Amino acid sequence: MPKRNDLEQKALHYVVGTGYQGVLQSDLWRELGASSREGSRVSIKLEEKGLIRREKELQEGRWTYRLYPKRLPASIETIIDCPCLLCPDNARCDPTTTISPKSCPRLTDWIINLGKEAPAAPEGPSAIAEPDMPEDDPDAESLDT
Amino acid sequence: MLSTIDDATLNKVAVALGEQDAVTLIAHLKGVEEITDDEIANKTAIRLNSVRKILYKLYDHSLVSLRRTRDPKTGWFIFHWRLQPDQLEGFILSQKRRVLEKLNVRLDYEKNHDFYYCGSQECKRVPFEEAVELVFHCSGCGKPLVHFANEIMIERLSEKVEILRKELGE
Repeated sequence: MPKRNDLEQKALHYVVGTGYQGVLQSDLWRELGASSREGSRVSIKLEEKGLIRREKELQEGRWTYRLYPKRLPASIETIIDCPCLLCPDNARCDPTTTISPKSCPRLTDWIINLGKEAPAAPEGPSAIAEPDMPEDDPDAESLDT
Repeated sequence: MLSTIDDATLNKVAVALGEQDAVTLIAHLKGVEEITDDEIANKTAIRLNSVRKILYKLYDHSLVSLRRTRDPKTGWFIFHWRLQPDQLEGFILSQKRRVLEKLNVRLDYEKNHDFYYCGSQECKRVPFEEAVELVFHCSGCGKPLVHFANEIMIERLSEKVEILRKELGE
């Protein structure tokens, strides 16, 4: 059996890697090759340390937990193409001066081009909270009327 | 300790900080404990002044640290540089906070103003107040100014702001 600390590290890395989507506790232990007993102890430990968040979830008729990281890996992806990132005019850029985020032409161009990027993979919690509705679902039809 | 930064992120920051040279330079810094600018220039074939320029840029953001010694023969200073990857997360977060602040200013401005535009790429949009002063004629090309719908811009900007807020835990 792997040492508790090793398992904690591995589990934490795995949960962090899942990002906003989180991972089912049951899936995690299968992935790490641990027993569910050991697994649930480790996840409680990680929650106590404030490293993850556990949310109860009903999965195939059984209650389990979905584990979310409290701290996500720092990524510069969101702002990598933003002209404000490391802008040479940063020191002089202020809403009250001529160089301002209100009128910056580079920022305007960037905003206009925002929607033209390739659609990003869903990563927000809303993406997993909205399952596809079957077309022949009578409830779905009644919602539209 | 949990490391939340990978090499890919480090490279992206290097690209954002400068050019391809910065990526090469960081790749060399990663492999050694400490290195002088002279050694980097010799190993990477990047010009010494470019090496120093990039290093100072990285130093400004605390991504590298330096130690100074004196050359016993010439009496000149020798700078020994060391990569500080643990500072990278702080750097990214501070940049995100700064960008978010700017985007919020812009979002408020877009929401609270009506814009007028002549349609020429060389000219810029003007807010209603300025358009009135210009009697609805572009100051650049003289064409008539027509209302510019910025709803899509507001929508895209709001989405970006929301994503950044989420990432910063606000």
